[in-house]
Amino acid sequence: MCQFMTYKVKEQAIKKNSLSQRRDAPAGGEWRQRKEERWRGQGKAQAREVEEDESCEQHGKEAVPRGTCQTMCPARELQDREVQNRLHRFEMLAGTERVRRPRGDPLRAVKEYTRPAAGKDSTNPTDLRPPAVLLKTVCYLIDDIAASPHLHPWTEVYSFVFDRLRGVKQDMIIQRVSGLNCMAILERTVRFLIYASYRLCGEPLWLYDPRINDTHLQESLSWLLDCYATETGPHPNQEEFQALGLLYNLGSARATQHIMELSGRLRTSPAITLALSINRAFLERNPVRMLRLARRLNFIQGCALHRHLVTCRRDLLLIYSHGYCSRNCRFPLDRLAQLLSLDTSLAAQLCQAYGVDVNQGNQLVFSKAAFTEPGKGKLHCKMYHNIVAEKQRELSVGNIIHGCV
Amino acid sequence: MAHITINQYLQQVYDAIDNHDGSFCAELLSFKHPHVANPRLQLASPEEKCQQLLEPPYDEMVAAHLRCTYAVSNHDFVEAYKFQTALPVMFSVTLDLRIFANSAEQQLQKKGKGQPGEMLEKAAEQLMSCFRVCASDNRAGIEDSKKWGMMFLSNQLFKIYFKINKLHLCKPLIRAIDSSNLKNDYSPAQKVTYKYYVGRKAMFDSDFKPAEEFLSYAFHHCHGSSQKNKRMILIYLLPVKMLLGHMPTHQLLRKYDLMQFADVTKSVSEGNLLLLNEALSKHETFFIRCGIFLILEKLKIITYRNLFKKVYLLLRTHQLPLDAFLVSLKMMQLDDVDIDEVQCILANLIYMGHIKGYISHQHQKLVVSKQNPFPPLSSVS
Repeated sequence: MCQFMTYKVKEQAIKKNSLSQRRDAPAGGEWRQRKEERWRGQGKAQAREVEEDESCEQHGKEAVPRGTCQTMCPARELQDREVQNRLHRFEMLAGTERVRRPRGDPLRAVKEYTRPAAGKDSTNPTDLRPPAVLLKTVCYLIDDIAASPHLHPWTEVYSFVFDRLRGVKQDMIIQRVSGLNCMAILERTVRFLIYASYRLCGEPLWLYDPRINDTHLQESLSWLLDCYATETGPHPNQEEFQALGLLYNLGSARATQHIMELSGRLRTSPAITLALSINRAFLERNPVRMLRLARRLNFIQGCALHRHLVTCRRDLLLIYSHGYCSRNCRFPLDRLAQLLSLDTSLAAQLCQAYGVDVNQGNQLVFSKAAFTEPGKGKLHCKMYHNIVAEKQRELSVGNIIHGCV
Repeated sequence: MAHITINQYLQQVYDAIDNHDGSFCAELLSFKHPHVANPRLQLASPEEKCQQLLEPPYDEMVAAHLRCTYAVSNHDFVEAYKFQTALPVMFSVTLDLRIFANSAEQQLQKKGKGQPGEMLEKAAEQLMSCFRVCASDNRAGIEDSKKWGMMFLSNQLFKIYFKINKLHLCKPLIRAIDSSNLKNDYSPAQKVTYKYYVGRKAMFDSDFKPAEEFLSYAFHHCHGSSQKNKRMILIYLLPVKMLLGHMPTHQLLRKYDLMQFADVTKSVSEGNLLLLNEALSKHETFFIRCGIFLILEKLKIITYRNLFKKVYLLLRTHQLPLDAFLVSLKMMQLDDVDIDEVQCILANLIYMGHIKGYISHQHQKLVVSKQNPFPPLSSVS
């Protein structure tokens, strides 16, 4: 007849799933057993819960690796890479770049990202950098590499910074870093990746892959937003990043719902209100309104939004192709250029890419039959960037990424 | 145990569930326990009673068990075997698992540890393996096939996926059930729950016609005595129906305590954007909590359409000056709208098929078709 399954069997079933990805909780079976007892005695001693919490904390802390490396690159790795000739040119001691085996500069070498591998011990404290060192490393990467006017081309700068930031993130995950340092690092990472998505737009795929950038951006953003949700405040930059998250993920139901579930105070803050209005205009397919509102964004917000500008402009041409579709209709190119936030010649080029005919008198002839999606590679997003470019003005790359504008 | 009434028995089951006492609960569903000899519990059709006192899916589980005790008392062992399979136990275990995970979630959230949704995700992984076992059960005959567990498990998984906001994970489950030959033979309660979630998913994907179909089914087949469940279904059915142009009556809203929709309905049908914005703002918290705020915002387009239709009816001409529309929007206190935006909104309505006509920029007029320029909403989406 019936077989009973007791709690024990269930517990074993759950145990199978590894907890090693959890950032804060200790990974011992003992902890789980205690938790079990707590559920059984639901509603009893709060005090006991607190006590167990604290001993869990202690137990947990002993199991989590704590780095001791005070330099941006662990000594062992620097030595290894020097010997194997695997230093990046940004890490070489000045003057030794051209010799057969360049020397590494301990003040400029930064720990690489390495794929986790079975049997490899990534928890050796001498190889791990504590949170304060990680933050200093990130600041170095921004100020001395990303923002440097001397290092070219920027695609190479990006590759280096991208990889080393990944290494920083890895150290954070292994040590289960949380709190102010964690958020400061993630905030800079997100700004860097957003800025890069704009600056390197249009570069060839082998130099810059927007999808890889996107993956890491979303991961870092997601982690950062989790921090805001779970760590005690205040979070002075939260408004900025919630807004950036929405602008970057414009039109996403998930991103929108997330914003809707924030506290009323946050939701009514200026940056988020503006981001929500732009999001709404995008969802309602009102590109005129969307582009008008977009003019109010600052530079980094513009960078976050920029990849949606293509869709926005396409939508405008599409609905106008339907709305003005009549043989005798003429729409002035100038007016359209204004609506698209482009100059006249660029507007004309864009129209041609979508099959919208421009006649002799600079009048557009809209026709729903004529509208076509541009062929692959025909449309260069970068050509139409000025709405974002003009926001940059005197801003330095360093200030943009550190967020002091 | 051998003399308690059906109500007392169900109360015991309810208490056991409430206290998360899985082992006692399982006992109450077991044939090794003395309660099975109680003639008061041997009922041929215990479903209604169970539904009154227990939440789904417990109601169904217990009902199945009671039908079994009835069958056994009549020495109808074939019938008994049909109901007393390992499924009820699996049901109870998986349910406990989900509740277990929910409690874990809440505990973690209170302490601010771990990532939200993690526990539930892990529970979902477990349930998914159970689902795969059931779905691939090709050995047993249809009578005791584990395939009967598929819909139950899907429903559990849907609940989790909706909670952790990973709706795309529902797709393989829906596909599996759709292709199963048992899909119409599951119990009514299970089918209602299933259609409810599939309807909500369709809503999320903006497939409003199928969403209406599923949610309507769920609403009409949901047991009349479950006011709470009917109300829940209605919360999602109403916005979909409104998008298709069908406004609910005040009677209906009052019956199910959903007056929050009253102003929304009124403003949409009148084309009153101002009132719509106010209504959405007033009940914002409620709508956001239910996850329908964003869908309701889509009603704006319908509201524009209704407003502009009024302008057309007022002016009684087929060549409507754009200014007239601008004025109508300004009357709705939309002060930052200009003539360019008006053209954009009109162009979008034409593109979506809500208006038949074209805009003449030179004459600054909207020229509408002489035949049915504002097609009925249900024919458009």
